[in-house]
Amino acid sequence: MKEKLTEIKKDGLEKIEKSQSMDELQEVRKELMGKKSGLSEILKSMSSLSVDEKKEIGMKTTEIREEFTKKIEEKEAEIISNKSVLSEPIDISLPGKKVSGGALHPITQMCYDLNEAFLSLGFEVYSEDDISSEKYAFDNLNFAKDHPARQSMDTFWLEGTEDKEGTERLCLRPHLTGGSVRKLLKDGAPARFVYPGRVYRNETTDARHERAFFQYEALIVDKDISFSSGMVMIKTILEKVFGREINVRMREGFFPFTEPGYEIDMECLVCGGKGCKVCNHNGWIEVMPGGVIHPNVLKAANLDPNVWTGFYINIGLDRLVMMRYGVDDVRLFHSGDLRFLKQFK
Amino acid sequence: MKLSLNWIKKYIDLPKDITPSQIAYDLTLRTVEVEGVENTKDKFHDIVVGKILEVKDHPNADTLKVCIVDIGEDTPKQIVCGGSNLYKDELVVVSKPGSEVYWHGEDQLVKIKETKMRGEDSYGMICGATEVYLDKFFPPKDEREIVDLSGIDCKVGDNIADVVFMDDTVLEIDNKSLTNRPDLWGHYGVARELSAIYNVPLKELPKFSIDKDLPKYKVEIKEPEKCNRYTATEIEGIDTREAPLWMKALIINAGMRPINAIVDITNYVMMAVGQPSHAFDRTHVEGEQIIVRNAKKNEKLLLLDEKDLDLTVDDLVIADKESALCLAGVRGGKKDSILPDTTGVLLEVANFTASTIRKTDKRFDEKTDSAIRYEKAIDTERVQEGLEYALYLIKEIFKDSKIIAFNDVYPIKTERCKIDIEQDFLDVRLGKVLDRKTIEGVLKAIGYDVNYKSGVYHVTAPVWRSTGDVSLKDDVMGDIARLLSFESFEAKPLPVKFTKAVKQNKVSLERNIREYLAFRCGFNEIFTYPWIDDKYIKASKIDISKSVKLATPPAPELAILRSSLVPGALEVISKNLRYYNEFRIFEVAQVFEKGEYHESSEDETLPIHKKLITGAIVGKNAKDLFFEAKGVIEDMASFNHMEELHFEVKSQPSWADKNAYLNIMLGDEEIGALGLLSYFAMSEAKIKRVNVAIFEINFDKLVPFASRTNEFVHLPQFPLVEKDLSIIVDEDVTWDKISKVIKSKVKNLEFIEEYRGNQIPEGKKSITLRIHIGNDDSTMTSDEINKKMSSLMNSLNHVCGAELREE
Repeated sequence: MKEKLTEIKKDGLEKIEKSQSMDELQEVRKELMGKKSGLSEILKSMSSLSVDEKKEIGMKTTEIREEFTKKIEEKEAEIISNKSVLSEPIDISLPGKKVSGGALHPITQMCYDLNEAFLSLGFEVYSEDDISSEKYAFDNLNFAKDHPARQSMDTFWLEGTEDKEGTERLCLRPHLTGGSVRKLLKDGAPARFVYPGRVYRNETTDARHERAFFQYEALIVDKDISFSSGMVMIKTILEKVFGREINVRMREGFFPFTEPGYEIDMECLVCGGKGCKVCNHNGWIEVMPGGVIHPNVLKAANLDPNVWTGFYINIGLDRLVMMRYGVDDVRLFHSGDLRFLKQFK
Repeated sequence: MKLSLNWIKKYIDLPKDITPSQIAYDLTLRTVEVEGVENTKDKFHDIVVGKILEVKDHPNADTLKVCIVDIGEDTPKQIVCGGSNLYKDELVVVSKPGSEVYWHGEDQLVKIKETKMRGEDSYGMICGATEVYLDKFFPPKDEREIVDLSGIDCKVGDNIADVVFMDDTVLEIDNKSLTNRPDLWGHYGVARELSAIYNVPLKELPKFSIDKDLPKYKVEIKEPEKCNRYTATEIEGIDTREAPLWMKALIINAGMRPINAIVDITNYVMMAVGQPSHAFDRTHVEGEQIIVRNAKKNEKLLLLDEKDLDLTVDDLVIADKESALCLAGVRGGKKDSILPDTTGVLLEVANFTASTIRKTDKRFDEKTDSAIRYEKAIDTERVQEGLEYALYLIKEIFKDSKIIAFNDVYPIKTERCKIDIEQDFLDVRLGKVLDRKTIEGVLKAIGYDVNYKSGVYHVTAPVWRSTGDVSLKDDVMGDIARLLSFESFEAKPLPVKFTKAVKQNKVSLERNIREYLAFRCGFNEIFTYPWIDDKYIKASKIDISKSVKLATPPAPELAILRSSLVPGALEVISKNLRYYNEFRIFEVAQVFEKGEYHESSEDETLPIHKKLITGAIVGKNAKDLFFEAKGVIEDMASFNHMEELHFEVKSQPSWADKNAYLNIMLGDEEIGALGLLSYFAMSEAKIKRVNVAIFEINFDKLVPFASRTNEFVHLPQFPLVEKDLSIIVDEDVTWDKISKVIKSKVKNLEFIEEYRGNQIPEGKKSITLRIHIGNDDSTMTSDEINKKMSSLMNSLNHVCGAELREE
């Protein structure tokens, strides 16, 4: 009988070990510990034994039972910790489910990036209307009466006003700068603000030229500031856009509404300033104009040029976005083509 | 504009060892933008002078000759050539193997190789002018003519560039960077800048001074305000000989084409000092008299191409006793031109004012070099400079010429501009204290007179900068800053004054809404033009009676400026349908309509501007789209912290389906609409196989909250019971009606679905709603729940005729 018990134990432990699932384990438990189990058979057939033998066999049986229970529990814990939630195979190399979501226009994104930088410097964000009179678009900004930009070949004049003058001649604004006078007239000086917006020029379009494009202008008016402080604004912009400090240089440039005016170049990022095809082999790329506000513009804003001074920078957002992403056709920005716009999530 | 460095070197001695690219860099930083630097000699490599020793017939070709040519190497070379003017001892241009030429008829450069032509060896090529960039020097008379260098100072083996003075460097200047500088439209002006930059002396211009006792040529200026000075010099002994090669080379490198010596001299002077001049055939001036006057009514000018040009009374003309000879400073006429039989000229060197020239020149597509310069406003003193330089050159080239009459009528003189600048002003604005010596040195180098007295610089601008360019102390400061180079000024930090933080709620709201639409609602932001294609305006039935129009639109069908963003959206939708059939787009932009609005001052009346936010959802199921769009608007207020919007049905938008639109309200004001795009609009805009839901809101009307307004509600202490309820109602019972009945009676009400079809009688629909009910002070018992449900059902039945739907 002892041999039989040894066999039951050995056989039972093997079965427990082999069990793969909770169901199987349940079956094994029934088989080993149930009423029809080998152990039960032995207990039932014990009547013919002596007291001592009964005692011995009984103890052995109990020992085995306890061992079975323990092993089953262990097995149970093992099976649970190894159990998968999946009932069927999975191919984990299948693509993930797409996150749905739209995107801001890349120019809007650039604009917001710049706003953040300038807000941190204490600038306000200002915006002005798309239609302006000649007075605010040209006269106030010191454009000569017969400046070529005033012609209909360059500016979109409104029907019925094209032959009038000054406040009565209306156009889609050809640049943002006119807005600076409006803002200064409204809120006075000192002032520091940026004004992003769309401007319009009547020109032939191609991959580099558009009739509607975006500018971003920043302006400071204060007492006793020097033109060289403009560098700080420029560096702010470029560092925000390109994520690191960029070498810039200022050089002579002319705009009716500045004196002195300058063109601002940045070091070519493709060649690091050594000279390559992108920068026309001179190591620098023209990015924006800027300058000290012309006294006549301050006068138009009712500010005394002997007291106040200030400077502008004006950046072409389209151009900057094109440089940021390598976009090679400016017309894509107004195309509404989702194949293009979806790339800027 | 093109600048020849050889030409510049006539006026200054550039520092030794300075490279052209360094000059380009220094000019770019301080004066004008140099866009390119070109070495004009490079292209002539391996193109040399050869002497024909022998001309033989080609054994296999009638039109070809076999020449033996000495090109200055050890042995003469055999070259096969089809030239029409080959002869023994002729000096010719030979392209050796390795050189690059324009093969006749070919657009691209061809590299010359040793070859066989019809069986005969040929070492290189004897060239015609167009093949080796010499056609401006030697205009060919026929296609097969080769360049004959006989009579020209050169020897066998010389590089052709050296023979024709093409060992030069040309700087390409961006004209835009010159618009404000009338003094820089000639080499002398740029030389003056370089003399200041490199601190080298500027040489005096060569000149021939006129004898004051000459007979007076009759000149009458009727419009002194338009013509401030006019000199007329009558010269005999002039013909149409060609200019010397050195002058041709400079004229070519400065971007013009040599014509004949007298015309070239006028062009040369213009490109040297920026002063245009003009030579008339003196016999063409009737009555030996020049009249500078306005054109008469209906007057015409016969142009060189035989066309009559209609003149207006604003045009200034140069006329003789009989008729107009030319448009002053802009274009010559046929009558004034130099002809092969010309023996004498009347040389005009005059000053015309910028506005006069601009007005006249506007009608021409292409501006003449003369008009471009006058438009920049030239000072009257320059006439003298130009005249004396021109006469010097005429005397050099036409040794036998003789001046026989002269006049200088000078009604208005350009005054030099006087400006006072305080040292303090310069210190603050430059952000750097410069000593007196530096400031005076810089200014004097470019022609200012400077007088310093107790803290103030009294400066007199040079006359060539006094026609508008320099008039304020800021202009003078600009000159100091640029000539010292902006690079020498350090970036100064901005002075900061803290007052209060920038807080612009409306600006933030716009950004929030854009981001809400893009990131949360899945819309892609688009930009469209403000001018709208008629087709899409018609499709969306937009009323254009109040629309603003462009005087000169980009295209005839694009004249109307948008009063809604919907037409633009339709265009974008129809284009994108080629690639996508489900998408969402939005745009934020201003629209316009006639009206009166004063942005900055009462005297300026602008059209009404509105900033609109317009979105479109494109997809298959019209109803789903409608409710998706409605959801976007419903949640807009709570996600963006602005005053709540609600809906009413008031007026049908022109583009919307008659059964599916809502007006968007803020309080009692209608500020937008949403709806399904009408069948008409879709078919007109060619939007097929999809449906579109659109919303448009006036952003200007939206009211942002100053801060968040979320309110905290205590969490329920006792569990709520969730129940779904399916009821059957008549078709015309709206959700609005149902929700009004129950909303106040439950903790929470939600719409689950609407169903028509099997098991639902005709004319009825099934609505499933989900409610949460509960007590505030205890857990609901099942009894209470049953009672509540049947009471709700009773109310629904009573008000809406609702029946419980049997499962």
